[in-house]
Amino acid sequence: MKYKDRIKGLMILMGVIVAIAWVAPVFILLNSSFKSLKEIYISILAFPKEIVFSNYTQAFEKLDFVQSFTNSIMITVISTLIIILFSSMTAWVLVRNKSKKSTIIFMLFASALLVPFQCVMLPLVDLMSHLNLMNRFGIVIMYLGFGSSMSVVLFHGFIKNIPLELEEAAMIDGCNIFQTYFHIVLPLLKPIMVTVSIINAMWIWNDFLLPQLVINKTGWQTLPLKTYLFFGQFAKRWDLGTAALIIGMIPIIVFYIASQKYVVKGVTDGAIK
Amino acid sequence: MKKSNWGFWGFIAPSLLAFILVQLIPTITGIYYSFTDWDGIGKSKTFIGLRNYSEAFTTDSKFLHAFIFTFAFTLCAVILVNLIGFLLALLVTMKFKGSNLLRGIFFMPNLIGGILLGFTWQFIFVQIFSALGKKLGISWLLGWLSNTETGFVGLLIVVTWQLSGYMMLIYIAQLQNIPNSILEAAQIDGANVFHRLRHIILPLVAPAFTIGVFLTISNAFKLFDQNVALTNGGPANGTQMLALNIYNTAFFESRFGYAQSKAVIFMVVVAGISLFQLKIGKSKEVEL
Amino acid sequence: MRRILSLILCGMLMMSLLSGCGQSSTNAKNEGASDLESVTVDIFQNKSEVAQQLEAAAKTYMEANPGVVINIETVQGNDYNTALKAKMLVNDAVDIMALGANDIVNNYKDYLEDLSDQPWLANVSDGLLEDAKLEGKVVGLPVNIEGYGIAYNKAIFSAAGIDASKLTSYDAIDQAFSDLQQKIDSGALKAEFPQLESVFEYAAKESWVMGLHTLNIPMANELGSAKAALEADEIELKYSNEFKDLLTLLTQYTSSKEDLKLLLAVDYSTQIGGGLAIERVAAVQQGNWIGPEVKSISPEVYENLDFLPLPLKGVKEDSIAVGVPAYWCVNKNADEATKKAAKDFMNWLYQSDEGKSIVVNQLGYIPAFKNYDGVEITDPLSASIQRYVREGKTMPWVFGGFPSGYEGQSASDIQAYIGGETTWDECIQALKDDWKALKK
Repeated sequence: MKYKDRIKGLMILMGVIVAIAWVAPVFILLNSSFKSLKEIYISILAFPKEIVFSNYTQAFEKLDFVQSFTNSIMITVISTLIIILFSSMTAWVLVRNKSKKSTIIFMLFASALLVPFQCVMLPLVDLMSHLNLMNRFGIVIMYLGFGSSMSVVLFHGFIKNIPLELEEAAMIDGCNIFQTYFHIVLPLLKPIMVTVSIINAMWIWNDFLLPQLVINKTGWQTLPLKTYLFFGQFAKRWDLGTAALIIGMIPIIVFYIASQKYVVKGVTDGAIK
Repeated sequence: MKKSNWGFWGFIAPSLLAFILVQLIPTITGIYYSFTDWDGIGKSKTFIGLRNYSEAFTTDSKFLHAFIFTFAFTLCAVILVNLIGFLLALLVTMKFKGSNLLRGIFFMPNLIGGILLGFTWQFIFVQIFSALGKKLGISWLLGWLSNTETGFVGLLIVVTWQLSGYMMLIYIAQLQNIPNSILEAAQIDGANVFHRLRHIILPLVAPAFTIGVFLTISNAFKLFDQNVALTNGGPANGTQMLALNIYNTAFFESRFGYAQSKAVIFMVVVAGISLFQLKIGKSKEVEL
Repeated sequence: MRRILSLILCGMLMMSLLSGCGQSSTNAKNEGASDLESVTVDIFQNKSEVAQQLEAAAKTYMEANPGVVINIETVQGNDYNTALKAKMLVNDAVDIMALGANDIVNNYKDYLEDLSDQPWLANVSDGLLEDAKLEGKVVGLPVNIEGYGIAYNKAIFSAAGIDASKLTSYDAIDQAFSDLQQKIDSGALKAEFPQLESVFEYAAKESWVMGLHTLNIPMANELGSAKAALEADEIELKYSNEFKDLLTLLTQYTSSKEDLKLLLAVDYSTQIGGGLAIERVAAVQQGNWIGPEVKSISPEVYENLDFLPLPLKGVKEDSIAVGVPAYWCVNKNADEATKKAAKDFMNWLYQSDEGKSIVVNQLGYIPAFKNYDGVEITDPLSASIQRYVREGKTMPWVFGGFPSGYEGQSASDIQAYIGGETTWDECIQALKDDWKALKK
């Protein structure tokens, strides 16, 4: 027993050391973000001699934070919501309508998971510029198109296991297809909805390449894109750069702390299914 | 269940139309464009047969290098990420105070996007490492990201930092499925920690390894953001991975048709790996 | 029931958000032609050191011209070309862009508005519009004149007892660097310059520093102009030995001299912010654009900056390289109102009295125009360049005519040599082969 405890104690100690190493990069950033550029160059490893907060105000301004944060939030939330709504609708009728066309459509959605983004990137941009969809409205449609594959597959797997009786009862009571869906089916999908929305929201929030190609215009840019441009402009002004990175991480960390349970569940379910 | 055709198509239409517009049409036209000399958005595309493909396979040393680099990187990432992810999972499933906090810490990097991660580690590798190296006189800390080797290891560290926590969650889910009774029975029979790990835990976690391995492959093979932000392919294109090579061929060299042909090759490889995964997943299910 | 209601509400909210989004994006896509209130000019430029000052200038302009919005975005160096190409995918995302000679003739020829009728045309200094022409028409405004050489800290050199005015040849500079290094190593300068550890720093990681600026020195003497570079299908590199000497001078006095592989990790910020500006090194190969950054870290060092020549041994030893880094071009696919606003802004910035003062004093530019009398240049490096220009000790910039993609290739060829992976002959051969391959 004593031997076992000692091993356990050792493991825990190791765990704590690893955990410290794990957060070290963020703390190093935080430490440097309060220094002047001169201090970063002369004594990067020390604690700041005096706290320079102006890095944050400047980075906040240069990131155009309010604008890019709003863009990110709007695009992420709207895209995620319509992905959930439309893919669950699609998955539901595909499950309930057992026919050849359902199978074909489902296979179509599923097989697109095999196609990497690089393969559609150039023709997509070509097509979208013809359709005048190279803007924030267009990117939401694109996210729906890309997100629907994975989401339809996940919803499909979940709906298969929902018993039919409730829906049949509703139909007999005279509900039409919309009423049945919104009143009966949708509430039952809540667990999988959390998973699907977490997966999509994480991906869309952090996405860089699609925004760079589609909404790379002043006033339209999202936070990751703006961060990239920020580093392009300030070619390694690390005093501002470290502050900008911390600013960019804050929304993610806040979101994670606030909804850790759902995030962990969503990520795990999404991977295993 | 009977549903009118109207209802069927009405429910499917929004996502199907978006899907067709965004994925299906571009995939099909993309395959055609890969046989053309297309050189920019809105420009004309002349059919040139297999010339793009023959160039990609024969004379393009950068593409070949990117291919080898990406494969080697993916291999190392799979081993490292899953090994560390599994160890972390073992660690945090030992019941002790603060194990939930550790779990949260290990998973956190996974939520931060590749662009932010890449720049963060660029700062660590270039500024912090060299300052440490100078101060302590450790020469291997100097000159990070200035050659292909440190660029490779650097990318590996970034991806391990990002993905291990993700794999950890998957392994935790599997570890929690192991009935306590089995472990307890083994303990009573006198099996020590390592015996239990080898003979009970590892075999029961095996299905999760399949998931972990393929998730890592898919992430590592398609890596782009981290590559752009950490090294941008440099120095001398030494750390350019496939996705970045395709991007640069299009936007730096203005050769869209050629980039598209590389993208098609890329797709074939990715699809091949994924189908292989499905097959393995299926056969595993039978075993269980 | 309540849950269902909230879901429906949720859906409705979403729909309204969606339509709201659609609307705002059409608003932002200025329909300026009909509505003069909201003409937006998007400028995408590549000089990060003046980004802030340029934004301030735009603000001044917007206050005086309420109908116009000027957006300025900046991406530095090599990334600019890739970023611009990606940006041009979005319809009219860029109205004014910064291009070099090769971009004008090859990559963007379908986008360039004819500027031949612009009032500033007649005032451009002689010979500076040759690279800005497309099929005989002027399509670009020369942003400024820049020069690079060996920028050095006068205080350190004089503390070491070196008379910089005599350093006009390869051997003299080499000797002075060697003397200075000895003084540093002996600790004689420790009290005055505690951070000082070596004479020189060379940003070998930056492709533009090696693949454009250093390579330009032998190439300028071989080809003579960017136009000639554009037309050359092959290069001879007849000054390859002298080029090798130059690289030796630039690398053997750095803090990485013991292991040149480490030099490949030195980037622009290590060279300037972490080098010259904190007096860790006394000299660098750079141009007058480093002024603002050095000033923001140390105003004293900034005041002490001056240029030494960048010598090509036995060929041209006492000159610095001077040229026009980029031309501002107008996207002809923008609508008429935007194009007019773009041209007006360019005219205001470069030709009005207010603009001229901004160009010289705020942006720190050496103007490419003849009619800037009475505006005094105060920036020490710019003033130094003006001296070299007056004395005729200059070499042209020919890298504007390098083929697309050559910057990265040539830099990696030279990096391979510095890192010890290839011999000098292999490096020279690779430089020639890459040129030929990209010209195909």
